[in-house]
Amino acid sequence: MAPKEILKIENLTTYFYTWAGVVKAVDGVSLDVREGETLGLVGESGSGKSVTALSILRIVPRPGKIIDGKIIYKGENLLAKTENEMQQIRGKEIAYISQDPATSLNPVFSIADQLTEVIRRHQNVTKEEALKKAIELFRLVEIADPEIKIWNYPHQLSGGMKQRIAIARALSCQPSLLLADEPTTNLDVTIQAQILELMKNLKKKLGMSMILITHDMGVVAGVADRINVMYAGRVCEVASTKTIFRNPLHPYTRALLEAVPNVAMKREKLKIIPGAIPNLISPPSGCRFHPRCDFAVAECASVVPPLVEIEPEHYVACIRAKEFMENGKGVKK
Amino acid sequence: MADVMKEKLLETPEKRRTDGVSQWSIAWRRFKKNKAALAGLIIVGVIIFIAIFSPIIARYPLNYLASFNEEGKIRVPPSSKYWFGTDYIGRDVFSQIVYGAGNVLYVGFGAAAIAMSLAIVIGITSGYLDGLVDNILMRITEIFLVIPFLLILLVFLRVAMTIAPSGVGGLTTVTLIIGLFSWAPNARIIRGEVLRVKQNEYIEAAVALGASKWRIMFRHVLPNVLHVIIVLTTLQIATAILVEAGVSFLGFGDPNSVTWGQQLQGASEAVKEAWWEGIFPGMFITLLVLGFNLLGNGLRDALDPRLRE
Repeated sequence: MAPKEILKIENLTTYFYTWAGVVKAVDGVSLDVREGETLGLVGESGSGKSVTALSILRIVPRPGKIIDGKIIYKGENLLAKTENEMQQIRGKEIAYISQDPATSLNPVFSIADQLTEVIRRHQNVTKEEALKKAIELFRLVEIADPEIKIWNYPHQLSGGMKQRIAIARALSCQPSLLLADEPTTNLDVTIQAQILELMKNLKKKLGMSMILITHDMGVVAGVADRINVMYAGRVCEVASTKTIFRNPLHPYTRALLEAVPNVAMKREKLKIIPGAIPNLISPPSGCRFHPRCDFAVAECASVVPPLVEIEPEHYVACIRAKEFMENGKGVKK
Repeated sequence: MADVMKEKLLETPEKRRTDGVSQWSIAWRRFKKNKAALAGLIIVGVIIFIAIFSPIIARYPLNYLASFNEEGKIRVPPSSKYWFGTDYIGRDVFSQIVYGAGNVLYVGFGAAAIAMSLAIVIGITSGYLDGLVDNILMRITEIFLVIPFLLILLVFLRVAMTIAPSGVGGLTTVTLIIGLFSWAPNARIIRGEVLRVKQNEYIEAAVALGASKWRIMFRHVLPNVLHVIIVLTTLQIATAILVEAGVSFLGFGDPNSVTWGQQLQGASEAVKEAWWEGIFPGMFITLLVLGFNLLGNGLRDALDPRLRE
């Protein structure tokens, strides 16, 4: 009863050719998004989450380059498509919401202009029809007085409003897949909750799939169906949200969860992950997490751990995963 | 086009005006508060007015040897008959200044139009499409930046005047050459601005929503660098006017067109004896250039996003 995949990435490799050297931002990432699900892509900054999203749309900025892998969307490899074909897919099939709502809208155009532009780009409609659709979209993202607000310019709107509009614009052509790159990072906590709730509802209403990129474990817990944990350009662990929170097997996932402050915690010091994310020009050998890992053994420095299915639907890339699985949390350092 | 739709949806135009405040209307509000900028606008406006209505404003026909015909004298000092005196062949200086206004503005606007079109296309393409295109375009720009502008201008003007002697679009040749040789600094400034603008997420968003390169360059990037372009254009007009005056003064202009620079050249032989012959055209050049500079500075202050409240 394996659900159908809408997007399947195999061995995606995106490098940045900088003066300092080749930055291996995404190094052999494989993941899949199933129809109608929300996949949370979690990791620290610099773990390659955003670059993965940009690679899917093939808009990796220079000097970045996708050098290997396959991105199968609805059975077709996006990496084999021409630039023109990709322009037809961007915004229509796969939409993207960027981090900062404050700057994702063009300051010199009214909201109406920006929404109708996208609608007219991908759908064969007249200006009036596009405008009507834009107003409907405003209703969809729950903005009051859409007929008036639509003539506003971005500088007249609040951050939460702008992010709603960015979402409306992304949804304007009813994409099958939505890539949301930290859509709530720059918003107040209350607005954050509203936006997440809105996205959850819209996803259900429109029946699309979504990749939610975030570093916030709290956000994915509420929204994602499955979670994909990334570290230094590689996937560490993939499982359902429940499994990730109840039974994290990769030491990095555990560390991430332990670093989240908790009200129930007795004023302990927050656990932090020692060290910083490695330099991706010359990443550590073997498992990339081993220099910061509490459970590392000698072998970790030499063997690249493959992503193995430890229990059904739970994949871990750690050579000691079996041990962790059998002994629970009792494994000694 | 958008206005038509707006009116269809919102019955009252008043309502719409208060709801959507574009950056341009904010800029105009700021511009209005700036007295120096308004003065610049008025100076430029008055001179444009003079140029348009020159046959009515001028007191004698074009190139009419007023004092020479009537009194048999040249270089008559200012009087109620000849407000600014007469020149070395007896023409009324005031009337010649009035007739010259149109030519001066023609050179200014024409040269600026050519220079700015080149600068916009080269600046935006090179700034947005980095890599090889940028490299080639910027090296070409640098060549234009390092050649001594005035010298090459004089050489070209002399050559052009020899090939197409007097009459055959003499002033147009001057305009063309000034325009073709003064785009380079502007192209670099626009490119720099494009480099800044293209970092913005709304450009990334436009790419992610399926817009093509050309569409992004001229529909998303261009409007965001327009404030710089407007300022550069006004300053470019002022520069072109000065350059034309300069080359005309040196005797490389079009001798058959009346321009203020040409008048200065005629005056240069007798600066001590007939001060009026040079002072008045010189004052008008200064005034017009000052006007455009004030206008440019005012526009920059009004349009600069960093100064926005």
